[in-house]
Amino acid sequence: MVEALLFWFLALVTLFGAVAMLLVPNPIYAAMSLVVSMIGISGLFAFLGADFIAGVQVIVYAGAVLVLFVMVLMLFDLKSETQAFSKGLLSRIFKVASVGFLLGGLIGVMVLEFSWILPVFMQSSPQWTMTGVKKMAQLLFTEYMFIFQILGVLLLVVAVGAVALARSRGGTHERA
Amino acid sequence: MSSELLFSLLIFAPLVGFAFNGLLGKKLGGHLYPGVIASVASFISFVASVGLFQLVSEQPEQAKYLVIHAFDWMQVGTFRLPVQFLIDPLSSIMILVITGVGTLIHIFSIGYMAEDPGIAKYFSYLNFFLFNMLILVTGDSLPLLFVGWEGVGLCSYLLIGFWYEDHEKAEAGMKAFIVNRVGDAAFLLGMFVLYSHFGTLNLLELNSLAPKEAIWNWLDPITIGTLLLFVGVTGKSAQVPLYVWLPDAMAGPTPVSALIHAATMVTAGVYMMVRLSYLYTAAPYTMIVVAAIGLLTAVLAATMGIVQWDIKKVLAYSTVSQLGYMVFACGVGAFSAAFFHLVTHAFFKALMFLGAGSVIYGMHHQQDIREMGGLNKRMPLTYWTFMIGWLSIIGLPPFSGFFSKDEIKWFALASDRGGNWIFWGLAWVGSLLTTFYMTRLMAYTFWRDKKYSADHQPHESPWVMTVPLMILAFLAATGGFLGIPHAIAQILPGHPNHWLEHWLKPVISLPTIKQGITVEYEWLLMGLSVVGSFTVAMVTRYLYLNRIDLIDRTRERFEVIHKVWVHKYYVDAFYQKYFVENLVLSSRDLWRYVDVGVIDRLVNKIADVTKELGRGFAWLQSGNMQNYAFITIIGLIIFVLFLFKG
Amino acid sequence: MKGLELFTTVTYAHFLFLSFVLFALGVLGVLLRRNLIVVMMSVELMLNAVNLTFITFAKALNQLDGQIFVFFVMTIAAAEAAVGLAIVVAIFKRFREVNIRFFQFLKG
Repeated sequence: MVEALLFWFLALVTLFGAVAMLLVPNPIYAAMSLVVSMIGISGLFAFLGADFIAGVQVIVYAGAVLVLFVMVLMLFDLKSETQAFSKGLLSRIFKVASVGFLLGGLIGVMVLEFSWILPVFMQSSPQWTMTGVKKMAQLLFTEYMFIFQILGVLLLVVAVGAVALARSRGGTHERA
Repeated sequence: MSSELLFSLLIFAPLVGFAFNGLLGKKLGGHLYPGVIASVASFISFVASVGLFQLVSEQPEQAKYLVIHAFDWMQVGTFRLPVQFLIDPLSSIMILVITGVGTLIHIFSIGYMAEDPGIAKYFSYLNFFLFNMLILVTGDSLPLLFVGWEGVGLCSYLLIGFWYEDHEKAEAGMKAFIVNRVGDAAFLLGMFVLYSHFGTLNLLELNSLAPKEAIWNWLDPITIGTLLLFVGVTGKSAQVPLYVWLPDAMAGPTPVSALIHAATMVTAGVYMMVRLSYLYTAAPYTMIVVAAIGLLTAVLAATMGIVQWDIKKVLAYSTVSQLGYMVFACGVGAFSAAFFHLVTHAFFKALMFLGAGSVIYGMHHQQDIREMGGLNKRMPLTYWTFMIGWLSIIGLPPFSGFFSKDEIKWFALASDRGGNWIFWGLAWVGSLLTTFYMTRLMAYTFWRDKKYSADHQPHESPWVMTVPLMILAFLAATGGFLGIPHAIAQILPGHPNHWLEHWLKPVISLPTIKQGITVEYEWLLMGLSVVGSFTVAMVTRYLYLNRIDLIDRTRERFEVIHKVWVHKYYVDAFYQKYFVENLVLSSRDLWRYVDVGVIDRLVNKIADVTKELGRGFAWLQSGNMQNYAFITIIGLIIFVLFLFKG
Repeated sequence: MKGLELFTTVTYAHFLFLSFVLFALGVLGVLLRRNLIVVMMSVELMLNAVNLTFITFAKALNQLDGQIFVFFVMTIAAAEAAVGLAIVVAIFKRFREVNIRFFQFLKG
């Protein structure tokens, strides 16, 4: 019962953040809503026993990425926005309908094709046989070592590329 | 050193030389570097082949070969084609000849080609040729041999047309390439036939699977297969009826003629037949054809050689003729004799071609022997080395040509696989003709009074050219001792045996002597050959130096024959009229109606349809990112639908 | 699992359902919002939804690999955010606004 309460609380927080991000016109508020959602997801991670990932989630997303967003927003002073959503009623309907279809499809697949997961309760699943940062680190530095290294290179390239892009004067076309 | 390492050195040294000269040679500039690099690469290859020869000779008698497996090329069904190389007594000698003579010719080329702007290209081709030739002789299966076979064909084409600005020379290259295509197509068919019959294309397996009994049947797959392969040989080794490209191939630089069109590439066909000796002996009908074609080529080419005025053309017809002898020897089952002649011919013909190159170089690119004369005083080194080549090719003992040609003539009579007096007689006449035109060449070039004008003083070539000549002269003079005939061996102290035959015994089929032919016959034939050649040489020399009027009168008397010979028996004209012209006409029609009318129209139609389709869908490319994302989402939905299994 | 049970017990299906909804919301954001930065935030939300699925299955199948993947996804997401924001900066410098419609000018 306590578990259920906890889940629903976290789920609602997360959903609230997500919906708010989608709907509020002011991008700063959207960013703040996303932070809420991120923290909710982080709680869900912890709830699922992924402590380390939960921590990383808060630090990387709520801490770093969203701060980056907010910084850019504040840098350009973008609080005013005349039109938050794309134009065209018909296209909006199509888009929403397609997303609804997608959601229905996903749920349908889960219910029909992966029905084994439906009745599995949190309580009944086995305890982590491996847990903690140590185990994860072992996996990361043995089996996934190569990918880990590649990611390092990727981040370096991204750092350089981001700087190069941001320094550009905005496109290859000369301003008219 | 291990065989793998040696083998890698053997084939990769020329390849590296090729890549280096081909990519960087021009950048480096200079006229010395490319030649030196290519020569060093070739020399490394030679050293490696000496090492491999040593390794092979250390192998036990019953398994006298090395197999070097590189990688698997392909596997289709039950057909597996490993890239595997075979170094056995046969190929070990062959690689020694190729790399040895090749190195000498590389060095010679440094001098000969010194002033050519395309020297880097030249040497890279030359090295690439070596590489391909080595693949050809060491490949352990027919497909691999064919790779080298085509590779040397390509290099031959590139080098014949090396001075491609001259339209005639470019055409000569094309002619060589196209004529060889005919043979190569048959070669491929031959491979198919043999594969469908034996289920393998491995050379060793083919030889061991070949039936021990001769199969007297025209329609037997072995007969058909070997005949088709032989058509390939007539292309590559310039036999009747596909010999026409070789005389034209003299358009290339002279060292190329020495290396490719005399010493190595053109002998590839003979090599292939020697390789498959057991297969060929199992098909006696093929052997009859081979012998007949070989002998025909030997004699016809000799007659055409008599009337040539270009020093290289004389040598070219001589090469065709000598190749005819080799093929003929294969045809009577004397594979060791054929191979022996291949080796000695490589020495003396390379020597003569390089000598001719030296003469041409000294005469400032004059090739007409009518303009020469008296060069023995001007170019003593070239003269004396050329003299050894001459003595060798006319078959005077103890020079190498005597031993190998005499062996072929001996088996022409004595082999129990079709030896007879007619074969011997024709071979003998052919060798007398050889003596005649070679002596004519000597008389015109060296012995006669000088004919060159005063402002074109010939000069002796530099040492980079004369040293290879001297080494080749030494080889041409002594190479014959590789195979001392039995008759002579019997009276020599210690009875030295026929080394080459003994060495090749594990891998090739050896002929047996017909009953009733004794050693006295061998002495008799030898005597006839030597006396005949000597007499003809002396008479010819006398006629050309003192009684040139007699020659002229004879020519006028037999004007018809002379004309036929000058026109090469009208073979080229025949090909031109019935094949080339028809081909050109039909190609033009194909171009006009099929290519323009059908293929081009089809291609254009496809392009038009694509264009219209593109225009039709262009609205999708609105530039609106969110529409793109929307399409992506639709794709995602379709993907999700796929997750529903049923 | 009927009626009230749906709310009183927690199954993995709950988590998966939640992640689907989050993903759908993220997609809607990408499709509908016009501010580039908000679009990017929506992309982050989609990534997070996927992460949640990963973690859920990691727990359900008792395998740590799912968590490792989340780790990688986060790295990629951070990288993507950095590059994306750099592009946003470039767009802003050029047009003084970060509306997604400016990407139309990239059309060839």
